Amino acid sequence: MLQRSIGEKVFNVFNIIGFFLFTMLMLIPIMFVIKTSLDISQIGEVQLNLLPVEPSLLFYRMVVKDESVYRPFINSIIITISGTSLSMVINSLGAYTLSKRELAGNRFFIYFLIIIPMIFSGGIVPTYLLIRSLGLIDTLPVLFVPNAANAWNMILIRNYYWSIPKSLSESARIDGAQEFTVFFKIILPLAKPVLAAIALFTGVGYWNTFMMAVIYIRDARKYTFPVKLRELIILGGDAEKNLEEMLMQLGLDPTEYFLSVEGLSSAMMIVSMVPIILVYPYLQKYFAKGLMIGSIKG
Amino acid sequence: MPGIMLAFQRYTISGFKYWVGFENFKYVFNTPFFWRAFRNNWVFVAFSYVFITPAPILFALMLNEIRVRWYKKTVQTISTLPNFVTWVVIAGIFMQLLSPTRGYVNQVIEFFGGESIYFLSKPALFPWLFTFMRIWKGVGYSSIIYLAALAGVDPQLYEAAVIDGAGRLKQTWHVTLPGIRNTIVVLVVLSFSRVLNGLFEPIFVLKNAYIESTAEILSTYIYNLGITRGKYYLATAIGLFKMLISMFLLFMANFLSKHVTEDGRSIL
Repeated sequence: MLQRSIGEKVFNVFNIIGFFLFTMLMLIPIMFVIKTSLDISQIGEVQLNLLPVEPSLLFYRMVVKDESVYRPFINSIIITISGTSLSMVINSLGAYTLSKRELAGNRFFIYFLIIIPMIFSGGIVPTYLLIRSLGLIDTLPVLFVPNAANAWNMILIRNYYWSIPKSLSESARIDGAQEFTVFFKIILPLAKPVLAAIALFTGVGYWNTFMMAVIYIRDARKYTFPVKLRELIILGGDAEKNLEEMLMQLGLDPTEYFLSVEGLSSAMMIVSMVPIILVYPYLQKYFAKGLMIGSIKG
Repeated sequence: MPGIMLAFQRYTISGFKYWVGFENFKYVFNTPFFWRAFRNNWVFVAFSYVFITPAPILFALMLNEIRVRWYKKTVQTISTLPNFVTWVVIAGIFMQLLSPTRGYVNQVIEFFGGESIYFLSKPALFPWLFTFMRIWKGVGYSSIIYLAALAGVDPQLYEAAVIDGAGRLKQTWHVTLPGIRNTIVVLVVLSFSRVLNGLFEPIFVLKNAYIESTAEILSTYIYNLGITRGKYYLATAIGLFKMLISMFLLFMANFLSKHVTEDGRSIL
């Protein structure tokens, strides 16, 4: 056991306190948002406590009830599920092809289909013009089809396939298995950890789809959840009127309530964080691994 | 790729394209707005290297000194979460916190008798606030890789250092830092190629008319010019210019990583 000097003990105490303050710095903003989303008290009083004065689930009921809010939520779910599945099918199959070094033109595919587009991209404007001429503006698939094949993920998966002993697939071959059987019965089950990790990250990415939606989506019915959130939080819009309408939808008298727009946007922020918090334990299990794969082979 | 041609072309009203050579570039380089975005972009890059790169290293070093496992784990769990939350929500949280009327920060200031400040409308403050938010969001996640590297440092080295009479600080300086030096160098070098990308989303959500003079960067400028205002050819010219810089940085990073890393591997 190490001897600890007084200096070290002092340092330890300060370190622990420092990290406690740091954690508070992370938690207080989130607690403040939770408080705002649950509080329907009057605007304007100075309150430093983080408990709601007049707790109510009213804002959450608005989120569930109002179509302009729950439709973007459903859109986000649609693109998350279809985007992740499409992306995983393409990337796992593509990586399998790329992992066959003996295949003719393998180097060509890697350089011309993967690495060069990774470095040279036309930038957002030419891409936008291409998407527009394809007639994909204001459609949901534009948010997950163009970026389904991800060069980076494909290379990660390929590297993992390489780490699977060749003798396994060779022995399956001898038993008479074809390429597809080898892939589905041998390679895929063994690559499950890396595929699960990449699927989780891809899913979180699609859930947070924002930039693409801002560029390609004009129709408010096709908004993703983050876009809707931005409209409310940042642009404000005619939010006061919206709130009145939402109260009437819930069958409540708007004149009895003095609600803040912040409350509604807070409730939406919390709602958008919930799926991430739900998958967070799994993410946590995988992300160290995922990062390591990236760093070692990168 | 053919889209790049747009940078050297213009349209007539009837949609006829014709070549103009480098006219678009000349035009762009003569606008002050382009240079403003260009300058701001590099200001953010400088802030990243001065504050955002060291932050997770420091975080990992400090966290590594904590011996209570559950405490370490809790701190890590909480600090990593914001990385997975979209910038829209992060921006929303900070806008509410800093809001001049109901924001928590201003309520605290007023509670102690100060004047409330509208933080997000002060151009001079924006780079600092933005840097703070980026650290707040990313420090936990970025530190994971350093923590993994720290776990890989040979414990025998520490024992040897203790026998030689080194205290905790000296151990950190002479054993821990050299132990993770390679990881730091590789990550810094790798980040060169990405310095001009990845800021679009946060800037786009945080930007407002008051702070445009310090917040506008190349990619948001391209978006405004190209998508919102329809000046495709000018925006493409800037995009191409930006891509050339990124490419130069990427090749530089590749060259450096060959020379700096132990086994001389390249990143391409």
